[in-house]
Amino acid sequence: MSELIQLGSHNERPMPPKADELNLRFSEQAIKELEGLKTHYPNLKACILPGLWIAQREYGGFLDGDAIAEVAHRLSRSYAEVQGVATFYSMYNTVHNPGKHKIEVCTCLSCHFNSAYRIRDYVSKKLGIKNGETTADGMFMLEEVECLNACDRAPVVQVGDRYFGPVDEKSIDALLEELRASEESTVVKMADQIVQVQLKAEERVGTIR
Amino acid sequence: MAEYKLLLKHSDDPATQTLAGYKKAGGYSGLAKALKMERQAVIDEVKTSGLRGRGGAGFPSWIKWNGLPKEKVKPHYVLCNADEGEPGTFKDKMLMETAPFQLIEGMTIAGFAVQGDVGYIYIRGEFIDAAKALRKAIDEAYANNLLGKNILGTDFSYDLHIHLGAGSYECGEESALMSSLMGERGMPRLKFPHAPLPTVSGVWERPTLINNVESYSCVPHIIDKGGEWYATLGASTKNSRGTKIFSVSGHVNKPGNYEIEFGTPLKELLEMAGGVKGGKLKACIPGGSSMPVIKPDAVDVAIIGYEEMGEVKSMVGSGGCMFFNEHTDIVMLAWRTAHFYANESCGKCTPCREGTRWMVQIMDRIVAGNGQKGDMELLTEVANNVEGRSFCALGDAAAWPIKAFIRQFPEEFEYWIEHGKSPVTSKEALALVP
Ligand SMILES: Cc1cc2nc3c(=O)[nH]c(=O)nc-3n(C[C@H](O)[C@H](O)[C@H](O)COP(=O)(O)O)c2cc1C
Ligand code: FES
Repeated sequence: MSELIQLGSHNERPMPPKADELNLRFSEQAIKELEGLKTHYPNLKACILPGLWIAQREYGGFLDGDAIAEVAHRLSRSYAEVQGVATFYSMYNTVHNPGKHKIEVCTCLSCHFNSAYRIRDYVSKKLGIKNGETTADGMFMLEEVECLNACDRAPVVQVGDRYFGPVDEKSIDALLEELRASEESTVVKMADQIVQVQLKAEERVGTIR
Repeated sequence: MAEYKLLLKHSDDPATQTLAGYKKAGGYSGLAKALKMERQAVIDEVKTSGLRGRGGAGFPSWIKWNGLPKEKVKPHYVLCNADEGEPGTFKDKMLMETAPFQLIEGMTIAGFAVQGDVGYIYIRGEFIDAAKALRKAIDEAYANNLLGKNILGTDFSYDLHIHLGAGSYECGEESALMSSLMGERGMPRLKFPHAPLPTVSGVWERPTLINNVESYSCVPHIIDKGGEWYATLGASTKNSRGTKIFSVSGHVNKPGNYEIEFGTPLKELLEMAGGVKGGKLKACIPGGSSMPVIKPDAVDVAIIGYEEMGEVKSMVGSGGCMFFNEHTDIVMLAWRTAHFYANESCGKCTPCREGTRWMVQIMDRIVAGNGQKGDMELLTEVANNVEGRSFCALGDAAAWPIKAFIRQFPEEFEYWIEHGKSPVTSKEALALVP
């Protein structure tokens, strides 16, 4: 089977918690934000995507069974429905915990013919992980992605809310170094920023950085 | 012909990312003018302009605008398709990041013309910078009575929200985008004539207008300077008016976005982008990965226009123009394209779900050196059976390029199948083999 379509081990797929074990973890801020987002749409179902972004931040970057159950609970939807939606989209981390930083290497057309596979293999070798895996220390995940639509900067790498390109071995070294030294998880930051930009000025609790 | 900066005019001046700067550069005069016009007159102006959708299909925009009920019984929605995902395209990203007010003004004029109540900009999740720029601009527009209740003292009220996607090419397809906005998996819906048009029953079964970022961004100029003026741009073509932004990438010296008037020769676009780097030109995909590949002799004669590109058997598409040099292995290009569509097929329709996977399997075995005689015919046959047989055009988009690669470069496929290795053996090419 193609490496590109690899989805990870299904044994790790999170399971729903039992009804009496619902473990709500949204912060005050998250609850306020969800209330704000609810006013944007005519029904609660439409809040599933924005709600999952909040959850991805609140649960440290990984939508485990508890996270899915909490979104379902807060929006009066079923667990199965929310999980079905979450697993469709590649930016929701539903298969395993991605770790602190997701290194997304574009290998699509323009990047492919501007050495993207060399970059992917370099990151892979350097971190000792294959596409879709996370390092043992939980620091980095490597993911091959489709066109990031910044082909003028091919080959392109995205980490959280930042685009890098054109990258080479040297800039990858510097990037990994910088990420290793930083306190913040770029996976969580990305989810937070996505929540913030969807909120109007008067609804916003956090900040756009 | 040279670049013609109409939409990208503001992009050169960061000052226009503030409301004051945008107004100083002539912004919001279109909206002020529109609000004094009859709604139908605004739609007629768009009709006169000859504007066609810039998202890929080139459908006349005014027909959609005119399709929403004039007697309003339910809320009307205005959607902006900012899910730019077509490989090779990066114009919407730039328009949002560098000219956010232009898009907001265009969507507000559209909202006025079709009696819209709420607008949503559906941005792909990766485009956080674009979303931030738009957020800042929307907040400022609200604070200055350019959005919200009673815009500029009229009785027109209009809300505008940003909605982020979460990683799916398919959500750029309009009916899938609506599914996604409603909180579902991003899968397409049955289309007209089997189901009502979105303009009658779209998102939440209510009348919906959906256009691309670039399409809306044209609107302030059309209203401000008049549809007749706009239609003088590109008048040399059969039926393409105005300007079009092309995102040029691949093996060129100066990749980037170039706005040109319709009627410009494709060759000149290549010149603007600094010509081919690293060798002679071998192939060009003029309109994003879904569009058929063409050879250098066609690049030499092609004129950019919706009908004109048809003469060289390709299409304008979304304007994601990729040039490839002589060290490019076309079979590898086809292989990667096949993988893209298989990865992004949403899985709803059997021909597309199974067909894209099947094409991947054949391509995989060819590039693994195990190609079999008849694989080219088989690929074409599978592609033919995917094309036109799915709810949305992703199936077509997967079939067209594969068929074109085989049609234009049969000798390269034959070589791979016969020898089990690439016909391109230069050092440069070997460095690119995954
Ligand atoms: C698979 C697929 C992906 C698409 N992706 C996009 C996209 O990313 N952006 C876009 O504007 N249109 C995209 N379209 C086209 C839309 O369905 C639709 O034609 C467009 O939003 C209409 O806007 P326009 O009339 O302004 O072009 C896509 C179509 C298909 C079939
Ligand atoms: S191909 Fe990599 S950003 Fe488009």
